[in-house]
Amino acid sequence: MTDDPKMAWAITAEGSQFPGPLPCGLRCIPRGVDELATEHLVLNMGPQHPSTHGVLHILVELDGEEVIAAEASLGYLHRGIEKLAESRRYHQVPTLLDRADYVSGLHTETAWALAVEQLAGIEVPGKASWLRALLMELNRYASHLVWLGTFGMDAGAMAPFLYIMRDREMLLDVIEAITGSRMMFNYVRPGGVVADLPAGVDAKIRAWLEVADTYLSENDALLGGNEIFRMRMKGTGVIDRATALAFGMTGGCLRATGVDYDLRRDVPYCAYPELDFEVPLGVRGDNMDRYDVRVGEMRQCIRLIRQLVDGMPEGEFSGKRSRVLKVPAGESYAAVESPRGELGIHLISDGGLTPYRMRLRSPAYFNLAVVDEALAGGLIADAIVTLGSLDIVLGEIDR
Amino acid sequence: MSALGILGRFAAMLVLLLVNGVVLIYMLRKVLGRLHLRIGPNRVGPFGLLQTTNDVIKLLTKEDLRPDSADAWLFNIAPYLIFVPSFMAYIPLVFGPTLAVTNLDTGLLLAFALTSLVPLGVLMAGWSSNSKWSLIGGMRAAGLQIAYEVPLLLSALGPVMMAGSLDPARIVAAQSGVWLGFIPRWFVIPQILAFVVYAIASQAETQQTPFDMSEAESELITGFANEYGGMRFGFMYLAEFSNTFIVSAIGTMLFFGGWQLPWVATPAWLAPFVFIAKTYTGIFVMMWARGSLPRFRVDQMLSFCWKVLIPVSLAWVVVWACVQRLWPVVAMAVSR
Amino acid sequence: MPATKPAEVLRACGIPCETSTEALGDIVRLDAGRAADAAAALYESGYDFLVDLFATDTGERIEVTWHLRAFDEHVDLYLKALVDYDGAAPSVWHVYPAALYPEREAAELLGMTFPGHPNPKRLLTIDGAEPFLRKSVLVRSAEEVRISS
Repeated sequence: MTDDPKMAWAITAEGSQFPGPLPCGLRCIPRGVDELATEHLVLNMGPQHPSTHGVLHILVELDGEEVIAAEASLGYLHRGIEKLAESRRYHQVPTLLDRADYVSGLHTETAWALAVEQLAGIEVPGKASWLRALLMELNRYASHLVWLGTFGMDAGAMAPFLYIMRDREMLLDVIEAITGSRMMFNYVRPGGVVADLPAGVDAKIRAWLEVADTYLSENDALLGGNEIFRMRMKGTGVIDRATALAFGMTGGCLRATGVDYDLRRDVPYCAYPELDFEVPLGVRGDNMDRYDVRVGEMRQCIRLIRQLVDGMPEGEFSGKRSRVLKVPAGESYAAVESPRGELGIHLISDGGLTPYRMRLRSPAYFNLAVVDEALAGGLIADAIVTLGSLDIVLGEIDR
Repeated sequence: MSALGILGRFAAMLVLLLVNGVVLIYMLRKVLGRLHLRIGPNRVGPFGLLQTTNDVIKLLTKEDLRPDSADAWLFNIAPYLIFVPSFMAYIPLVFGPTLAVTNLDTGLLLAFALTSLVPLGVLMAGWSSNSKWSLIGGMRAAGLQIAYEVPLLLSALGPVMMAGSLDPARIVAAQSGVWLGFIPRWFVIPQILAFVVYAIASQAETQQTPFDMSEAESELITGFANEYGGMRFGFMYLAEFSNTFIVSAIGTMLFFGGWQLPWVATPAWLAPFVFIAKTYTGIFVMMWARGSLPRFRVDQMLSFCWKVLIPVSLAWVVVWACVQRLWPVVAMAVSR
Repeated sequence: MPATKPAEVLRACGIPCETSTEALGDIVRLDAGRAADAAAALYESGYDFLVDLFATDTGERIEVTWHLRAFDEHVDLYLKALVDYDGAAPSVWHVYPAALYPEREAAELLGMTFPGHPNPKRLLTIDGAEPFLRKSVLVRSAEEVRISS
């Protein structure tokens, strides 16, 4: 043991033997990868690798081409967002949160706004709720498009990715017209949203809705309709229901195992109670199911956006906002269904000008923890697509 | 043949190979660009035509890097072991009635023998780089190319039986004229099954998507070529395109009548152009598949080869041998 | 709502605890040393999903929060326990494997340990990084760090 108290926790690796049968039907004790193993090949996949979706580093222990064990090594994108939030005022925090999940920033922003509103007791006008829901659905679709494209790339299909970028461009134009930005929106604030729908954006959304279905079917036919692709996806990367729940997986990855769980329906927020949509489910929890669930979700997205545009109420887009937001001491937790799963903000306030502690419950962080269970037993090629099917965004995992 | 003649022929082969490389890289970029809703290179020169030349200059002037821990000797010769066979494989190609590097009775065998040397160089490159990615890529490439060599050879047997020769010139000559007065005597028509096997196997042989596991970009980055840079990489790249040209050219000779136009007699001066046009059409189809399909998984691909392609092509060889033997007997019996 | 109240479940196991219902929801405060036992008992009683695990520096000690959920009923429960700086809270990974990552993260960012964790390496930061979610570690710009070192 070292005398340095900071390092003490790192040394206590001893005594991690687990008595009795393994819990939750786990395959083995998730000790990670033994880097000094001699009989197996340990491959460092990433942090610079075309298919790790950012700067993920995965240690893979290989026996030939077969994966024996895998461990994710995180932190290459760690910016200390939770710590930084403690020195930002309440209305400045969304700027940081946009950079957490940079593919669907509006979900993180909304979760933050809901947590603050819950603690401060701020009323949100009806239209703001609808605008939030609309923007979140647009953003969800854009995020799923990125996933669909990169997933195809992981499987070696280059063409769908570029087709999808064309579709996403149209969508981002719409989002930009509303929020003023393509990526770092800073649009949802405690109390409402920043701006109303600008004139003419309605026609823009409708023009996109016209083609969205066709484009999606085209892309789905290129990937899901391809026999090679289906052969690779079926039966690989199987995550069963028990494992998914044990690892705290949420979102499409959980629904692919057949668990009927969607925060938008089960713990409604924003305008969702008034909307009509279905929750697509999988059966086996393999890559094909995750693909089908997400594509099904995209179809539901189009349906939701149509309802949101048609039913957009009149009224104020934001409640009264004071220049300095003070939140009473206390704790609150608010969660939204982000494209990756349950995205929660746990806010602790001491009544000051800045949050005392902000915890981001990032869905991809929990979804990624399953890599060892999901990748082991497959081939390298399966590992790549399975990782792609989890739809990870490193910005929100590393925070 | 005089020494000068031999040198001249070699120079012509080299020029053809280099021009092919440059044109094919440009073509690949443009074709893939169009398939991907992109434009492709359009900045350097008119229509981006000079892009490839610039790339060649870049590759030539790059520093020749070798990883410290690499096996120096193997690492250095591997690119040439990949390049030289694909260069030599131009020898048996027949560009016209009198236009070929040399006429060999067993030209087809030579071409296949030479292309089957490529996996050796690939394996050496993968092994000697002393990188795990390269090693996996090299192993995959060797395994796949050896596996797909078998159906490639078997599928060529049908046309060989029909022509009764392994000499490419005679195989092409056997495809002149028409059947039943209007169908060109191209072997692809009776041998359609063999052609399908040939097309699949040649796509695998040249390691293009959906069979590009050895350099699977999303898995192994660039596989066996990971540690190579500069002109050493250039040689590998060039060999890849040269192989594409060769399999397409052999396919043209075996199944599509080589340098001959259908229905009309082909003037000698036009023959090379017809041959090149047919070959490039074949390459275009290969690129098309490359641009639109996802990748197989390595074990699925191997089992597809051993369990589907090889039995099918073997069965086809037997069936066709019977047909060819029995046909005159049947015809005679019918006429009697 | 699971049939038995969390307080009763814990009392049945002989784990002293203090329950309260605040704006956040149901909170159970207990001794850190018994956290793993409590988690196991609560898992049996229906809280079968770990939503989150994180730690907060309260200024005097570290407060570890286990956010549990009875998944089918969608009822949340917060377990809270106080730990000294550089102290320890038992790992609950054998009940909730979802805790594997957050425990590593809390350990490095708050400077504490989770005995029993099978792979107690650092997760997000590099060796030698300060446990910067402690309030005693100040947010500094890159410039300030460069000047001070």
